[in-house]
Amino acid sequence: MKKILLFAASLLLLASCEEWEPVLAFKYDAPAPEPVVTMTPTHTIAQLCKMYDGAPLRITQSLIISGVVVSDDQPGNFYKTLYIQDETGGIEVKIGRNSLYNLYRPGQTLFVQCNELCLGMYGFKSGTYGGQGMIQIGATDPTGEYETSYLESPLLVDAHVFKGAQGPLVNPIVPTEAQLPKKSDTQVTNSLIGKYVTIKGLTYDNEIFCLLYLDSTKDKKAATNNVFLSDTNPASDPTHGITTWAMSKNRMTQYLQSGRWDACEVARGNDHTGVFLKDLRGDGTYPEVEKNAYSVSHNFVMDGGKTVVIRTSGFSKFGDLEIPKDVLNGSRKINVTGILTMYQGSIQMTVNSEKDFTYEDGTPLYN
Amino acid sequence: MKRFIIAILMLLTAAGLSAQDRRVDDRQPTIGSVKGTVVSRQGRAPIGGAVVTLLSEGQELYSLKTGSDGTFQMPNIANGRYMLTFSAPGYTASVTNVLVEGFVRDLMFITLSPLVTEERTDVDDDNFIEFDLDDSGYSDTPSILFGSNDVYDNAVSYGFSSIRFKNRGYNSELQDVMLSGVRLNDALTGYSPYSLWSGLNEVMRSKDVTSGLQTSPYAIGGFNGVTNILGNPADVRPGLRLSVLSNSALYRLRLMATYSSGVMDNGWSYVVSASARLGGNDWVKGVYYRSFAYYAGAEKSWDAHRISLFTFATPGQRGAQNASTQEVYDLMGDNMYNSNWGYQNGKMRNARVRKTFEPITVLKYTYSPDMDFESATTLLWRTGSNGYTALDWYDAPDPRPDYYKNLPSYAFMEDEDYGKSNVDKADWMREAWVNRLPEYAGYQHIDWDRLYRVNYAAADGRAKYVQEERHVDQNELNLAETIKWRANEHNLLHAGAYFKWNRSENYKKIADLLGGRYFLDIDSFAERDYAIDPVKLQNDLDYYLAHGEARKLYLGDKYGYDYLAQIRKAGAWVTENFEWGGWSANAAASVGYETFWRDGLVRKGLFPDDSRGQSRHANFLVYSGKVGLAYVIPTGHRFSVNAGYFNDAPTFNQSFISPRTRNTMMDGLTTKKTLSADVNYQFNSMGYNLRLTGFWTQIKDQTDLMSFYDDREHTFTNFAMTGIDQRHMGIELGVKVPLFAQGLSASGILSMGEYIYTSTPHMVQTIDNSAEIVHDEDVPYWKEHTVADENGVVKTYKHYVPSTPQLAAQIGLNYNVNYWYLELNAQYFAHSYLDMNPGYRTHSAVGGPDGIETPAEIAYMAAQEEFAPAFLLNASIGKSWYVNNNQIGFSLQLNNMTNNRGVKTGGYEQTRLIDSSDKKRSYRFDSKYFYMQGFNYMLNIYFRF
Repeated sequence: MKKILLFAASLLLLASCEEWEPVLAFKYDAPAPEPVVTMTPTHTIAQLCKMYDGAPLRITQSLIISGVVVSDDQPGNFYKTLYIQDETGGIEVKIGRNSLYNLYRPGQTLFVQCNELCLGMYGFKSGTYGGQGMIQIGATDPTGEYETSYLESPLLVDAHVFKGAQGPLVNPIVPTEAQLPKKSDTQVTNSLIGKYVTIKGLTYDNEIFCLLYLDSTKDKKAATNNVFLSDTNPASDPTHGITTWAMSKNRMTQYLQSGRWDACEVARGNDHTGVFLKDLRGDGTYPEVEKNAYSVSHNFVMDGGKTVVIRTSGFSKFGDLEIPKDVLNGSRKINVTGILTMYQGSIQMTVNSEKDFTYEDGTPLYN
Repeated sequence: MKRFIIAILMLLTAAGLSAQDRRVDDRQPTIGSVKGTVVSRQGRAPIGGAVVTLLSEGQELYSLKTGSDGTFQMPNIANGRYMLTFSAPGYTASVTNVLVEGFVRDLMFITLSPLVTEERTDVDDDNFIEFDLDDSGYSDTPSILFGSNDVYDNAVSYGFSSIRFKNRGYNSELQDVMLSGVRLNDALTGYSPYSLWSGLNEVMRSKDVTSGLQTSPYAIGGFNGVTNILGNPADVRPGLRLSVLSNSALYRLRLMATYSSGVMDNGWSYVVSASARLGGNDWVKGVYYRSFAYYAGAEKSWDAHRISLFTFATPGQRGAQNASTQEVYDLMGDNMYNSNWGYQNGKMRNARVRKTFEPITVLKYTYSPDMDFESATTLLWRTGSNGYTALDWYDAPDPRPDYYKNLPSYAFMEDEDYGKSNVDKADWMREAWVNRLPEYAGYQHIDWDRLYRVNYAAADGRAKYVQEERHVDQNELNLAETIKWRANEHNLLHAGAYFKWNRSENYKKIADLLGGRYFLDIDSFAERDYAIDPVKLQNDLDYYLAHGEARKLYLGDKYGYDYLAQIRKAGAWVTENFEWGGWSANAAASVGYETFWRDGLVRKGLFPDDSRGQSRHANFLVYSGKVGLAYVIPTGHRFSVNAGYFNDAPTFNQSFISPRTRNTMMDGLTTKKTLSADVNYQFNSMGYNLRLTGFWTQIKDQTDLMSFYDDREHTFTNFAMTGIDQRHMGIELGVKVPLFAQGLSASGILSMGEYIYTSTPHMVQTIDNSAEIVHDEDVPYWKEHTVADENGVVKTYKHYVPSTPQLAAQIGLNYNVNYWYLELNAQYFAHSYLDMNPGYRTHSAVGGPDGIETPAEIAYMAAQEEFAPAFLLNASIGKSWYVNNNQIGFSLQLNNMTNNRGVKTGGYEQTRLIDSSDKKRSYRFDSKYFYMQGFNYMLNIYFRF
């Protein structure tokens, strides 16, 4: 009898202490706040950008940059990525996780250990404005499709991106029209590129750009799958009736089903198909056309004639907001605050939220 | 409905009248005698040596034992009313009233139900409960058979549970589980209700079990048996019992104490019992128990009356397990990896915890004027709460460690066609999983500390991560009446009627704000599509309209959804048993009416007109019929055939397209029709025991519902499938043979079947945010189909009912002598299949982005995984001692002694698809699996005073 009890007791002792933790834990203590990291940068952002030499560069030594977060992906206009800036410039860090603002809020100082990461360029690398894309820091992209890829792996992120102190929001720089980058400027030649700026005095220029796919699961480069809503397709309707900053899936469906886009051709560049959206109308629901959210670029012009494109993601929470009529008809100018990027030689602004649009006198477009 | 109730009342009245009609005749002699034959319910084998005792007003008058043929006769008994008790080792004791009116009173057959008595078979129903993972696609529990003296049932009930064997391939909802004459299968899902009394093994031990198509005295039953747990105090074995149990497969420790008074001289009996199940186990981290149980009851019997009142519950909580893909198991080097837990401040915490407190109270009245008539009325009330926690998050990364974007396969796949070629990143992903340093635990398990820190950083304390608790709080009232009436020596009638009223509130509440200050009651999925329309985002639109903002949620607040499931069931049944010589036959029929509806308690912003208030009422006439015929040859042979037809209502949970958001029911909702038959041969004599059964069952018109994110539609969708038919057929063999030595025997068990899908179901896929129908088509690759291979040879592929071996075999050796027993068995299981996702069997999934279905695509996308066969070796040993009339004993079970850790027991296919790089075809996401535990033990030490 005693032997049996002893045997039973010994079996109980075999149990690990860990398995009893949730049994005995009636309450879990709240974890301590995250410790603040302090590191010494070895390079400025401008110095890092200068290292880019036309091809993706995998960094193989300890190289630390530091910057303050200026982008905010909460409203959804930035997706899986963030911008940091220091005195010398701004750069995109392609983190590749959702809802980054939860961990990296605007005003947060970040240290990026670039060792093992890859410096690359996105956008126009060749052609008229060659070498003019945006320099980014990310992971390597062995596919060669892009020069960098998103970090994505939580371990990869945690091993390279460190959180310093949370500070106040950065005040945007307000450049004059003359200070803004020219067609041939890059992050190396103009420190405004990649930074958080306010551009004042913009007049609507009645021109939009948007690329639709008939089926996003199919080849996105096939002419039969592309519809470019632009100032030339057709030239008679350069805005295509789009009065919102971007379009959600539902808003896109409404635009499409209004018939305003019927004269647009399914085509890519000079590769024409002769098929127009009106041919796909079907019962009025355009069954062959995929309904999805789309980004839209709206052209604005400054007093000196400089074009500024405001590009907004269809997945942003404010993309369906109507641009006020007095802006669309050119009777009122706006100021816009956001990250200044370059695309095909044009200035392209990406805002954090609808609060970044104001009239010229500073009153917000949206309350 | 009203007419129906009247019909039931008339039936009851008629039965009552016939019982009262029998009056005492003045001209009869004043002395008589009583005779009869005591037989087992299982196979009607005679029970020799059963003790028959005659009592009058609590005084024992006469006692004898039955002969080897089970017969007895008590002569010279003065006319009057007596109580007769029957008891035999291994059987539930039976009490009856008998009226002696001169002459010989032939009681014919007294059937005793086999009793589950031996401690070695102290299986706990918990083994089956941990599997109820309602959001992981695997939501059914295997049916539980209870041991009896049928070799097959006995082996299957205890030996096959670890592999999740489902007898004849049936789901648990097809097995009727009753308590005190009330069917208690879950009113919303139909699932087995065993968890309501787990931990109360002693008091719930006495049960009456039938299998297959057999009828029961408590219900006509379906085609997967009826288990009626008696549960009332007088049926609990008298005495004080204590036990300590330790096992390594589920929870470490169980303590149980039970005292039963037995029927005392004054006719009272009472029982109290309490138990605790505590701890974790050797195999699945994060699975733990902190469960308790109590039972209290009293019963009084006088003259022809018995009345009992008892109440019990199993308050407590336990951590749940989750399935992962093989990639994750391989990275962790552990097929028992559980993604539900992680460290918080260094302490293990499970995100999925089942918290229950569902007390049941039963009032039962039995009237039994004599041996020939018994009427039992039961009122059963179930109430309480049943919560299941989970992580919920808003606009923040998925916190589950095994989320597919955290896995190496998300970055790199060997097959270039997947278009995943980032080796470097895959290496980083892999490193996060395979490094065993403590600082990597946050990548391999839930990183609670990170969730808190995200909440700390939120601008105004609006939490991004919370722990929610999903509730299904049932309130159920049952009234059941059963009648037994032996009209004469050839006819025995069982009849009954039932009424069920169920009102279950479904909602979720905030269980933990995880360091945040509040959470907001909006629908994050709606926000993806309607971000600028605040009305559409509201989970509670009326609150928003009244306050101008969404509700801020604090600890304990209800949110998300809140609706009542309202269910009513009523019906009546009758079984006529006829016996003549070696022949016996029965015919049974039931008819009932079921209705249910949803009653939304909040108005949803997406569906303001179809979410609050009552849905339409779904009404179903249900009925069933059974016939059986058996012939017994006195030398121990028995032949029987049974057949039945069943027209059953669909369950509430399989009827609404999206019950969390709206009142819409599936189109084409109809009853499930089942036709079933079996043929049996049994032999039971001189220690030899054999049963061979062949069965065939066809189930038609089942429905199924699932919700998932559809990559092609870029949104959450609901998938409703109707017209699912299946066919189950096979044989069962159980044989037990005595060997040369005293107490030694060998046994063999075989279950061989084919359980397949036989129809092309129809599916309707709707967008959850808008109710828009995006697909309305057949599911062509659900049932058997043909595919040509690369050589053009056409092959046929069947699709199988999943998650149970369709071939199971066992051979065993038993040694039973001088209170020792030893058992050794070897088991083989094969032909078990993975649960299919119907979405993969549609034209659009098979065709891929280009819509062209090639034979290779059909073969790939429609294929159903068959699990590898499994071989297991188990042993058990036990011994008990008597010390001054007190019994002390132990039993030790050693399961899976070869420590086989590669046995899949179930799982499911995911729903998402990956397009090939050339956009011509699609690939599936990896399936998720559950594995069986490796070597485990169970030791039970018990004391009886």
